[in-house]
Amino acid sequence: MTFSWFTRVGIVFGKEVRDHSRDRRSLLLALIYPMLGPLLVAGGLFLAGKTLQGDFRQQHIEIPVIGLENAPALAAFLQDKNVRFQAAPNTQDERADAVRQGRLPVVMIVPLAAKGQDRFSVELITNLGRVDNLRVTARLSRLINAYNEKIADELAKKAGLVEGYGAPVKITQTNVAQDANIAVFFYNMMPPLVIFMIFLGGVHLAIDTTVGERERGSLEPLLLAPMERGGLLLAKALAALAFTAVTTVVNLAAFRVFMGAAVASSDRLVAPPGWEVFAQVFLISIPLMAFAVALQMALAVITKSMKEAQIYLGLLPLIPALPGMVMVFSPLNPTDLTAGIPVLGQMLLINQLVAGQAIDPLHVVIATLSTTLAAGLIFALAAKWFRREKMFVLG
Amino acid sequence: MIEIENLSKRFGDVQALNDLSFCAADGRVTGLIGPNGAGKTTAFRIVYGLLSPDSGGARVDGIDVASERMVAQRQLGVLPDVRGLYPRLTAREHIRYFGRLHGGEGAALEADIDDLIQRLGMTEFADRLAKGFSRGQELKVALGRALVHRPRNLILDEPTNGLDVMSSRAVRHLIADMKALGHCILISSHIMSEVSLLCDHLVIVAAGRAVASGTPDELRAQTGADDLEEVFVRVLDSSGVSAS
Repeated sequence: MTFSWFTRVGIVFGKEVRDHSRDRRSLLLALIYPMLGPLLVAGGLFLAGKTLQGDFRQQHIEIPVIGLENAPALAAFLQDKNVRFQAAPNTQDERADAVRQGRLPVVMIVPLAAKGQDRFSVELITNLGRVDNLRVTARLSRLINAYNEKIADELAKKAGLVEGYGAPVKITQTNVAQDANIAVFFYNMMPPLVIFMIFLGGVHLAIDTTVGERERGSLEPLLLAPMERGGLLLAKALAALAFTAVTTVVNLAAFRVFMGAAVASSDRLVAPPGWEVFAQVFLISIPLMAFAVALQMALAVITKSMKEAQIYLGLLPLIPALPGMVMVFSPLNPTDLTAGIPVLGQMLLINQLVAGQAIDPLHVVIATLSTTLAAGLIFALAAKWFRREKMFVLG
Repeated sequence: MIEIENLSKRFGDVQALNDLSFCAADGRVTGLIGPNGAGKTTAFRIVYGLLSPDSGGARVDGIDVASERMVAQRQLGVLPDVRGLYPRLTAREHIRYFGRLHGGEGAALEADIDDLIQRLGMTEFADRLAKGFSRGQELKVALGRALVHRPRNLILDEPTNGLDVMSSRAVRHLIADMKALGHCILISSHIMSEVSLLCDHLVIVAAGRAVASGTPDELRAQTGADDLEEVFVRVLDSSGVSAS
C-alpha cells in the first residue's frame, strides 16, 4: 500500500511536532521566550504609570535652591503654588552631578545680582533625559512664567497700561492626550518585538530538522523512505510554522495580559489595544510566519553545520525587527507601494492596528500576497537546494 | 536482486567509482569488501537512490533506480553505516515512523512492529527514548526500521560495527534467516571472519572498480591463500592498491 503525497507530508509533520514537543529548547523558544519581551515592556509601562500616578499639578514639589533670599517675592509666589525649597549642594559641579545622576530633579539658582531688582535671571540645572526631572522642570518653568505675567500686569497697571501689556500673547494648552502618550510609546514597542519572535519561534526546529538531521546521520535513512524531497522539506517547514504560530500566540497573549495588568496599576495610562486587535495582528502575521520559516529553511539547508546555522539564524530576527524599532520613534503609515514590500507591509499594518488606526483592506490584500509570494519563492529555492547531493551526504 | 552496471561517479578530483559492475542475487549474501575509500558506500548510495551516477546504472528487482527511485526504494531495506536515530523518539516510534512512510498502517503495522521487537530482542527498551541507547540497541532499532516494510532486498553497511559478541551473533543469525527466506542481502564489512562466516559471494572493490569476485572458495583457489584476509591482501596487491 502507498499513501498519497499529503499523507506522507502529514506523517513527517506529525513526527517532527511530536519529536520537538519533547525538546526542551524548542519548548523554551515557543513558550517561555515569547513572554520575556512583554514582561520587559509591561515592566516599563508599570514604572511609567507609577511615576504619573495622581494629579501632579496639585502635588507639592521640592526644589533645591541657591540664593532664594535674593528674590523673596518670587519665593513667596512659588511657595503659594505648593513649591517647597531645600538646600542645594554648594558647588556647581556637585549640583550638576546630583541632577545628572537623578538624585535631585532640578536645581534653581537665583544670583546675588537679583537682590532688590525687578528684572533678573534665574538658572535651572536640569536633566531632560529623565521623565521625572522633565515633569518637575516643566512645572517650575510654568510657575516662573506665571510669576512673570503677574509682575508684568502689576507694572502695566502702575504705568496706566492695559493688563497683559507685558505679555501680549498668552498660551492656553488643552492636552487631550493627557499622560497617554507615554503608554502609546510602550505600545509602539510591541510590533518589532512581535516580529522578532516570529523570526525566532521556529528557528530551532528549522535547524534541527535539516542540517541537524544531516549532522546526526538521521537524514540519510529518512531519504531512503519513498518520498519526494520537496514534500519532506515542506513537512518540516510546516512543523516549524506550527511552532512559530504557537510562539506568536503566546507572545501576543503575554503582551495583552501583562500590559493590561501594568495599565491597571495606574489611572493615568490609556488601556492597551483590545483582544480583537491582537487577533487581527495574529491573522495579518500569518504570511510573515510563512516567510520567516521559508527563510529559516533556506538558510538551514545551505549551511554546513548546526553551529554555522545557529550563527546565521540567530542574527536573522534582528534584520526585520530593526525597521520596526525605527518606527517606534517615527511611525509610518502604509501606502499601496510600501504595503507591497514583503515583511514591511505586515510591519506597517501591525503598527497601524496597535496605534488604534483603521487599516485599509486593500493594503492587507497587497501585503498578504506579496509576502506569501516571497515566502513561496524562497521555499522553492530551499527545496531546490535540499535536493542537491551534498545536502544529504555526510562526510 | 541488485544489479550494478558500469557505475562511475566522481566527486571533484576524486574518482569514487570507476566502471563498477556486479550482481547480488536472491537467496545469497553478497559481500562488498575493500579498503577505506574504495567506493563501497558510494555504490550503496547510488543503489538506494541517494546519489546519481555519472554513468552506468543500478537496478533493484529489475527496477531502474534512476528513473523509478521511489518504486525501487520500496524493495529495499537499508542499514547505513551511521545509524542516525532520533534521541527523543522511542525504539517503537522509530519503527512505526518508517513503517508508515512505507505505507504501513493500523493493526497490521502494529503487529509487524511487535514481531520485529520480539525477533530483534528489543522488548526491554522498545518504549524507551533512543537517547542513551548502546550501540547494540541503536543497531537493533536501525535494523527494525530497515525491515518493517518487509523488503526483498537488504543493504547492510558494516552491520556488526562496534557490537559486542552477543549482538554480533544475533545479527548474523538474522542475516542467515533472511537468506533462508530467499532475500537478496548485500553487505559491506571490514571484519574478515564475519565475511567468511556470512558471505556466499564476494566482490573485492579497490579504487572504485571490482578487482575480483567469486565465492570465498573460488577466491582462495585463485590467490592460493587459505585465509580470507590473506586473499584480500593478495588481490589488492595484484591490483596495485595497498590495503589500508
